[in-house]
Amino acid sequence: MTRLIEAEEGSRQLFMGNEAIARGALEAGMKVAAGYPGTPSSEIIENLAEVSEKAGIYVEWSANEKVAMEVAAAASFAGLRSLCVMKQNGVNVASDFLLHLAGSGTRAGMVLVPCDDPGALSSVNEGESRHFARLVEVPLLEPGDFQEAKDMVKWAFTLSEEIRNLVMVRSVTRLSHASGNVIMGNIAESKNLEAETKNSAFFKHDGFILDQMEGAVISAPVTYKHGQQHEKLKKAIEFFETSPFNTYTGPENPELLVITSSVCSLYTNEALQMLNAKDRVGLLKLGTTWPLPPKLVAKHLKMTDKILIVEEVIPFLEESVKTLAAELGPEIGVKTFFGKRDNTIPSTGELNPDIIASALSGILGIDMEPVPEAYTKRAGELAFLNAPVRDLTFCPGCPHRASFWSIKNALTMDNREGFICGDIGCYSLAMLPSGFSALKTLHSMGSGTGVASGFGKLGQFGLNQPVVSVCGDSTFFHSAMPALVNAVHHRSNLTMIILDNSGTGMTGFQPHPGLNEDALGKDAPAVDIEAVVRAAGANVTVCDPFDLAETRETVLKLLEDNNGVNVLILRQICALSPEKKGKKQFEMSVDENICVGENCGCNRLCTRIFSCPGLTWDREKKVSRIDEVICAGCGVCASICPLQAINKKEVA
Amino acid sequence: MQVFGSKELLEDVINRDLCIGCGACVGRCPYFKSYKGKTAMLFECDLSEGRCFAHCPKVEVDLDSLSTTFFQKAYDGNPLGSYMEILGAKAGDKIAKAEFQNGGSVSALIALALETGLIDAAVLTDREGIIPTPRLVTNAQEVFECASSKYMAAPTLSALNNGIEQGFERMGVVATPCQATAVAKIRTNPVKRANFIDPVNLVIGLFCTWALDTRQMLSFLSDQPDMADDIRSADIRSMDIPPPPEEVMVIETGTKKTKIPLKEIRPMICESCQFCPDMTAEWSDISVGAFEGKPGWNTLVIRTKKGKNLVEEAVEKGYLQVEKIPEESIKHLAGAALNKKRNSFIKNVEKGLVNTGEKEGRSAIRLSDDVLKKITAQKENAV
Repeated sequence: MTRLIEAEEGSRQLFMGNEAIARGALEAGMKVAAGYPGTPSSEIIENLAEVSEKAGIYVEWSANEKVAMEVAAAASFAGLRSLCVMKQNGVNVASDFLLHLAGSGTRAGMVLVPCDDPGALSSVNEGESRHFARLVEVPLLEPGDFQEAKDMVKWAFTLSEEIRNLVMVRSVTRLSHASGNVIMGNIAESKNLEAETKNSAFFKHDGFILDQMEGAVISAPVTYKHGQQHEKLKKAIEFFETSPFNTYTGPENPELLVITSSVCSLYTNEALQMLNAKDRVGLLKLGTTWPLPPKLVAKHLKMTDKILIVEEVIPFLEESVKTLAAELGPEIGVKTFFGKRDNTIPSTGELNPDIIASALSGILGIDMEPVPEAYTKRAGELAFLNAPVRDLTFCPGCPHRASFWSIKNALTMDNREGFICGDIGCYSLAMLPSGFSALKTLHSMGSGTGVASGFGKLGQFGLNQPVVSVCGDSTFFHSAMPALVNAVHHRSNLTMIILDNSGTGMTGFQPHPGLNEDALGKDAPAVDIEAVVRAAGANVTVCDPFDLAETRETVLKLLEDNNGVNVLILRQICALSPEKKGKKQFEMSVDENICVGENCGCNRLCTRIFSCPGLTWDREKKVSRIDEVICAGCGVCASICPLQAINKKEVA
Repeated sequence: MQVFGSKELLEDVINRDLCIGCGACVGRCPYFKSYKGKTAMLFECDLSEGRCFAHCPKVEVDLDSLSTTFFQKAYDGNPLGSYMEILGAKAGDKIAKAEFQNGGSVSALIALALETGLIDAAVLTDREGIIPTPRLVTNAQEVFECASSKYMAAPTLSALNNGIEQGFERMGVVATPCQATAVAKIRTNPVKRANFIDPVNLVIGLFCTWALDTRQMLSFLSDQPDMADDIRSADIRSMDIPPPPEEVMVIETGTKKTKIPLKEIRPMICESCQFCPDMTAEWSDISVGAFEGKPGWNTLVIRTKKGKNLVEEAVEKGYLQVEKIPEESIKHLAGAALNKKRNSFIKNVEKGLVNTGEKEGRSAIRLSDDVLKKITAQKENAV
């Protein structure tokens, strides 16, 4: 993706939102970028890593989001503009440092880009990062389109340096992952950095203690620094009052004012078009959403008495606007507000033009039917009759399918109602039938082992079910290590199973500290998970999950042990990894004469339960078949067939 | 009998805690597995009819139908089942001294049956540590390795299923009453398979009053301070309950003999055993148990012509020695058997598990109402 850096100033490029964000950072002269993979944010760091050498920047995939923010902050302290990227809940992980960083302030421009996932399209939460801006009191920008995504990130660095504090630029899935036209700015033009002109990074720390630019970078004395931080926010508000990122379109005296931000401004625009209501409704699109510029907001609130606030996830903008409206009461009068709090806008899930159009039509008294009822009915019928059920499933050849097969079987055979505490990764899919519905708790990164550590101490209260946790290799480094150490130290009785597929599989195979490769694809020392576990004082066994019998026996044995922490590493590279992709280890085939199909004795174990997409059911012949195009050649199904009807032949 | 599938088996047997873990459903398909005395169903199977249900000794056991098949008469509720003769017996001179429970008659009969080709393999119960394990054997030496009682529910019949897979067609099975019931069901081909071959040619039943839950027993013994080491090293030599009045179980390990009061053992009896009406393994050719009052000897209940022939041949060839058994002993045995039968039928009736109509659903056991009435109305030790 060299056009990220080579695209000429003034040229128009079709950029994905995440590319636009990366380009904005490059145009701003950003030097250090760090992040942790997470949909929908991952492409920002990936794109920057690809051009890092050419651009002369440092890019890393950090062990977790908190570390990423710390790495980026160090660059800012040393006079280099830095960028930090994560998905919405990543900010939760980074939040402790975030609070203190907001207190100490930054030096060279530092921008945090959280990419939120309204509707949880690729998440197990519908978290909201915007409230962190209010919580730790740093400015928040929300781009409304692809051009703004680039331009706002670029300007965010300037703002950060104006106020000497972190600036947040929040994206969402539909911006990060959609594409649109972006007109390029100049990459070379920005050289407003001290460090760059000097051509060296330097951390000055021997100045006056209260001098943020030359003294120690700390958040104490707290009340003094906090006071300074508030002064900075006032300065930000001044910029926001006249910011070109806040726009108004519509009549001078609209019947209704819609206040919105982010991609919701695009949806609203479309809804107004659908309803042909542009001459009745004013649209205030805010790009600077915290702190709100009061004069700008007051000016628009005065235009009408009815206000609709359109936004996704929490009523963040709504509450800010209402707070201002209360303060401005004597000047602007009493207003009627519509939004999430009165259920005009749904309180959960993603928005779309239809939802907004139906909200608008209710307020405006327009008779509209976003989707005709007959269409909905017919579409439903067709889907029911003709669309095959497609479950979310593990890829063909995925080691996790094999791992959960064995773990689930062992827990069922053990017969003491043991359970698995799940964690975040591809293997979270094991909450679904694809993973035999094996996960019984699922929360945040690293939490499986933490929760298991708690369960494992409940023996004294009579909990005698075997406790198992799973975690991926990347998750191990991210945040499962403290949980493991906690469990070992407290002699919690559990089996931790590390599903080591040698990469951050779910987000696109980014490297992590356990691999001998960094974000740029260069050699890096690998941290050995097994050695870390051993050093923590837990027993550790390593198994190949493709060996179903051995894995099951090993798990059964570990379940019997009720004396502290046992760790089992199930090691097998992800089927989509560059090493494996497209290469089959085995040529698989089904002997139709042996396969008993749906008869007593098997009843389609392979296609009904194991359900690898590489296996299909021949409805006519009533036997299983290998789909040679899809089969990854892992050979595991040969071991699950009770009649040895599935054969594997090593590919030469 | 009407055959259902694994869903009904789960409802009727496993979820009601009636599964004794006999292994009849283990090994015919990939869904049922046995581990530490318990049978688990790994995944759901949606077939409406299955051998798992058809072969289970804890559901839809039609006593009249079994009796007609094996003894050519309706089930009459006799406490000792149908039999031709009862004898005292012990292993003969031809049999080397091994670690037998009592007289070694079972080992002797199976060894002979293997040697004469009456059976082509034997389905026995071995032991790994304290845990009883199924074993399919084809020679006498292996038979003696499996000698002595296990006192715990064992998935023995998974070895029978394994033998069927391997192509054995005349197997001998040494079975507890529940296992013998399952074997009887298997032999009637309840799923009506074409080309069915009866895989069993000899059933030697074992007297049984109850079995212990393996996992509970394992955990109990591991908690005994003086046994923990032996349990860990899995060095169990034998288990025995000497005749009253001692009221103990004696467990012999590599280092010592430990006596455990029966009152501590009894709470570990499988729930399922309370519902079992059979003490002497009635669906067998010969049933074998202790000869009360005569240590080192067995009681033999000979039920079929095939059983009688085998015993005669064993005596002839020096594998077995027999003697008459006093009427008093038979009466005593029948009294104990009746107690078990009556108490269990009362329990079964209370739970609604006998002769249920279409509305109430499936039964555990079916027999004629008259016989049921006869059994439950009898007084203790009425024989």
